[in-house]
Parts: sequence; structure tokens; C-alpha cells
Amino acid sequence: MRTTALPAAEATRPRTVVVGALLATGAVFMAFAALVAVYVQQRQLARATGQEWFPEGSVELGPAGMMMMTLVLSMVTVQWAVQAARDEDRPHGFIALGVTLMFGAAVINQFWFVYTDTAFAIDGGRAELLFYAVTGSFIAMLIFGMAMLAVTTIRSLMGPFGRDLAHGVQAAGAYWHMCVLCYFLVWYVIFITK
Amino acid sequence: MTLTEPAIADSEAASGAGDATAPESSDEAVAAPSTLAQPFVTSDASAVGRLFVLASLLLALGTSVVGVLLSLGRTEAVAPWDLFGGFNAYFRMWTLYRMSFMLLVVMPLLLGVALAVVPSQVGAGNVAFPRAALASFWSWLIGAVIIVVSVFAGGGWGAIDGVTGNESDAMALTLLGTGMVMVALLLGAVTVATTVISLRQTGMSLLYVPPFSWSMLVAAAVWLFTLPVAVANLVVIYADLRGRPAIAFGRAESPDIWLQLDWLVEQPAVYIMAVPVLGVAVEAVGAAVGARSSRPEAITVIVGLFGLLAVGGWSQDYFTAPQDLRDGLVYVAFGLAAVLPLVALAGGAAELVLRGAKTPDRLLDVRMVGAGAALKLLGAAALVGALRVIEPLDLLETTATWAVFHGVVVAGLIASVVALRNWSQELRIGPLSAVVGRGAIALLAAGGGLLVLSDLVSGFLADAPDLMALSLDGSAVLNVVVFVGSILVAAGAAAAALGAVSALRPVPVAESDPA
Repeated sequence: MRTTALPAAEATRPRTVVVGALLATGAVFMAFAALVAVYVQQRQLARATGQEWFPEGSVELGPAGMMMMTLVLSMVTVQWAVQAARDEDRPHGFIALGVTLMFGAAVINQFWFVYTDTAFAIDGGRAELLFYAVTGSFIAMLIFGMAMLAVTTIRSLMGPFGRDLAHGVQAAGAYWHMCVLCYFLVWYVIFITK
Repeated sequence: MTLTEPAIADSEAASGAGDATAPESSDEAVAAPSTLAQPFVTSDASAVGRLFVLASLLLALGTSVVGVLLSLGRTEAVAPWDLFGGFNAYFRMWTLYRMSFMLLVVMPLLLGVALAVVPSQVGAGNVAFPRAALASFWSWLIGAVIIVVSVFAGGGWGAIDGVTGNESDAMALTLLGTGMVMVALLLGAVTVATTVISLRQTGMSLLYVPPFSWSMLVAAAVWLFTLPVAVANLVVIYADLRGRPAIAFGRAESPDIWLQLDWLVEQPAVYIMAVPVLGVAVEAVGAAVGARSSRPEAITVIVGLFGLLAVGGWSQDYFTAPQDLRDGLVYVAFGLAAVLPLVALAGGAAELVLRGAKTPDRLLDVRMVGAGAALKLLGAAALVGALRVIEPLDLLETTATWAVFHGVVVAGLIASVVALRNWSQELRIGPLSAVVGRGAIALLAAGGGLLVLSDLVSGFLADAPDLMALSLDGSAVLNVVVFVGSILVAAGAAAAALGAVSALRPVPVAESDPA
């Protein structure tokens, strides 16, 4: 009786692009968490010595809450894009990525409003300086995430969907979720507990 | 564990691996980049690794010369501020020496070795993201040039004696260069870690990954936990520097900028440089005596434990009262515990010697001698580190801090010499000459030993906190010993660089194919 060589089992290692993106995302989160830690520590120090952190009423919760809601919605649309990429569903994938980019732009617009509304001077003191350092870093992270998604969108338009591209969208999605988590920290630490 | 099953051909790696091998068609051969263009376009991680190693060794030479000048300033031959033309200039060089040895020498040196060695150890054709590895090298090199140029232009990490002219702008440039270098190292670390996690042979569990690859995976993880925290520091410092004149902290005219970053070159974060040294040492001893560990998983656990004890983002004391942190149980525990994995690893290396061939030529092999010297220096550094955290000894703000630093740095340099000797084929260079290798190791070990010993004793003799060792009274002889040690380290770095450059020669394609 002849034996038949069976094909090798499919590799089960985690996908390269996703693993690399997760590691890089972890590093970015560490940097942002360290920034927030400095913010919290300095605010605690100011309060312990009886100093005012922000002037009463200067930081409004409304726009910050809108940003939180916008970003939570964007988490859904990013996952929609990831699923569409997995299913090789080009129209849904493109719409989902486009909506997500729009949400990102809306958040940047809302931050612009917050900056105008608060009218902090960067050289106003520790509170103002750290306010700009933390929120500015977040905006930079968000813009990077939008660029990642934009690249994925362009690739989806120019070539066929496939396993690799699905991994690319998955990686960008993981980064985006981390950005939302970082904004949750900003929302709670800067805008809620002020 | 089986190494006979086909490697996982994942998307990026597959394309990268394809790039690393010899071209198959004549069209590809025609399209191959010229020798001059190759460093800018190569996707062969081995070539990128070589670039890292060579550039780092040349920077090691420059940095160790700065070290000689600094140690000359500690002797009574000449006042340090006169030697460099002012107190600010002395402070700039003093900080450059420390940051450079960490970010421009030891970490990229070991990363370069890893880029060349790890893929072949785990059975991958190339690293996971070969172009990211190349981007890592060039952004690191550009960042390094920015740092060096801006420091010599009056920048650096703060000033003590007031700021004049454009020094504040030059400092901003130094911060930019430091950030670039850190991000580049992180990119390289992600590449190496992804290679081990995602591209190793099927059937090879993480517990049985070769020690050097495992140590690089642990090091990459620790770097990913530590360097981003330093990047966050840089963001705060930069915003502060640009936000003048309402300076909150990080004043350019004070050492505040340095004080926000110095945790990186002190315990426990200083050990992030040393994690790969453990992997190099174990593999070098095994290769020298021709033996394998009976308990490879124990080596894995030991290296992982040492990596855990090197995570140091939490240990910065600028934003808190220093005593709150440094008298704390965690800081003391980390300092004391760091000795244990090194002792255990020495035991593992001893087991290899007992199991292997104990002929004189093998026991005196360059790799064996180098691994022994690196482990001894690292052990000495960790021991000093343990003494340093014992509060009654009062060593925290003394030169004992730099005994730990010097031990780790020189151990890293020795490990790189051993790696050049052990993995010349993976690096695609000729074998490092045994004479040059022995000479470099002997010089580095002697110099490193003198630096560790004299810095420790100086620390015991210091009456008051004196990190910059500017109180020359009472330890003049020791300062001369530091000077001699610095010269020996510089000579050792020169020998290592010379050996690496002379080993660069074309290797036939058949030999150079890592697969």
C-alpha cells in the first residue's frame, strides 16, 4: 500500500505585520502613559502645596465628551473596516475607512475649538505646558493613525484585497484602538478630574 | 523541538528573505545595486547589522577618547573646566560620554549583531521587516550625528553656568537627535522581536529559542518598556524649553534637563544594555567547549528574570523627592535582586564547561575568555549596584553610580568582540583575528575593572554627594587609576574597531547565504 504525503499543516504563528504593529503600538502607549503620569504627578504636587492647577471654569467638559463619543464611534467603524478587509468586501471597507478618517478629522477640529476656548499660553505655567504636551502628543498620534488608515485605504483602492492587506488594516485598527484608549486617559485625567 | 519543518513564509519576511538571497535571474543581477548604493537600499538584515556594528565601534572609539579627557580632568594635572574651555563645556562632554555609550555604542552594537544573527538562529531567511531595519540604521545614524554636532555647537542636555547665544537652540537640536536615536533603536527592537515571535521555525517553542535570540527578545521587550518613557521625558523637556520664559522645569541654564534623563544611565535602567550580553556569553561558552546546556529552559528563565529587573521607567526621581523613591523597597529590591540571575547564569556557564571538552586550547579560546570577562564585569557591576542601594553605605549619589555604568558598558563592548568572533559567518565578515580579539578583550577587561574598582572606592571615600567627581580631595590616586582605566578602555575599543574593519572582506555568495 502506498502512503500519500500529506500537505504540511497551515502555520499557526501570529502574523508578522500584526505582531510588529502590536509591539510598536505598545511602545507608543508606554510613551503616552509616561506623559500622563508626569501630568498627574505635577498636578498632585501643585494641589498638595495649595496651588491652583487650572483657573476655575477654564476647561469645559462638553467638547471633551463629544470627542470621547466620536472616538468610541470610530472604534466601531475601524472594526467594520477590519471585517470588510477580511471578507474582501471593497465597498464596505472603503466606506468604513472613510468614515473613520472623518471621525479623526472631527476630533482634531474639536481640539482646535478647545485650544481656542481655553486660550492657554504655553508659557503660562506647568499646568498649561503639560496640557499642551499631553494633548499635542495625542493629536500627533491621531494624525499618525489617520495616515496609517489612509495608506490602507489607498492600497485597497489600487490593488486587490488579500490576506496581507487585511493584516495591514488589522494592524492600523489595533493602533487606532490604542489611540482611543489614550484619549480616554486624557478625557478622565484632564477634562473630568481637571 | 524540530528544526526540519519549513519556516513560516509570511508576507513581509518572505519578500525580505527573497531580497537577502542571491538574484535568480540575469535581470535581477543587472538590477542589483552598486556597492556604493547598497547601504542605502539593501534589505539584507545582515548588511544592516554590519553597518550598525561598524558605526557603533567607531563611535565607541570617539566616546572612549572623550572618556580619557574627562578622566584627565579628574586628575590634578589640569582643572576640568580649563581642559574643555568652561564649566558648561565640561558638563556637555560629561553627559555626552554617558548618553553616547548607551545610545550610540552598546545598544546599537548589540542590535546590529542581533539583526545578523537572530534570523539564522530561528530559521528565518531574513528579519521580519528588512526595510524597517534599514530605516532604523539610517535614522539612528542621522540622530547620532545631530547629537554630536549639536553638543559641540553648545547644545547638550542642559548647562550649569548660564546659557549664551544660540545654546538653547542647540539644546533643542540635541533633544531632537536623542529622540531620533531612541525611536530608531525601538524600530530595530520591534524588527528583532517580531522575527523571534513570528518567524521562528514551527515546532520551536519560545522556551527553546537559542539563548542569544531569546536574550534579544527580552531586551527588545525591556527597551519597549523603557525607551518610550524617555521619549516622553524628551517631549516634556522640549515643550518646556520652547515654552520659555515661563520655565517650569527643564531650565536650560541648569542641569535640570539632564536630571530628567539621568535615570536612563543609572540602576535599574542601565541594565537594559546588558540583557543581550547574557545570551552572547552563554552561546560563546557553549561554542568554545562544544557543549549544550542540559537545562536550556533554566537559561531562558534566568535571562527573562534579569530583563524584568532591568525595566526602569519607574525609577526616575526628578518629579518626586529622590529619597522617597530610592529608599523605597522596590528600588532596593531591584538593586539587590539583579545579582541573583547573574550568579545563576554563571552557574549555567560553568555547567557548560563541565559538560564540554576541557582542553587548554578550548578553555583559552577567545570566546571563552571574552564571555568570562564580560560576565565577571557584569557581575561586579551588579554587585556594586547592590551595595549602592544599601542606604547606610551612602553610595547613591556618588561615583559608585558610574562604577555600575562602566561595568555594564565595558561588558557590552567585550560581548560585541566575542560576537564578532563567534558569528563572523552570520555577519558575513572574515573571522576576527584571535590576537586582536584577545588583545581587545584584555584591554577592555583591565580598563573596565579599574574603572569599576576606582569608582566604587571613590564613592566610599566621598564625604558628600559628588556624581561628577569634582571634589578631588582624598582620592587623587584613584582619579589617576580612573585615567589609566579610561586609556585602556579606549585602546580596547580601538583594537575592536580595528579588528572589525580588518575583518571586512568580500565573502563568497555560497558562504554568505544564511539559509
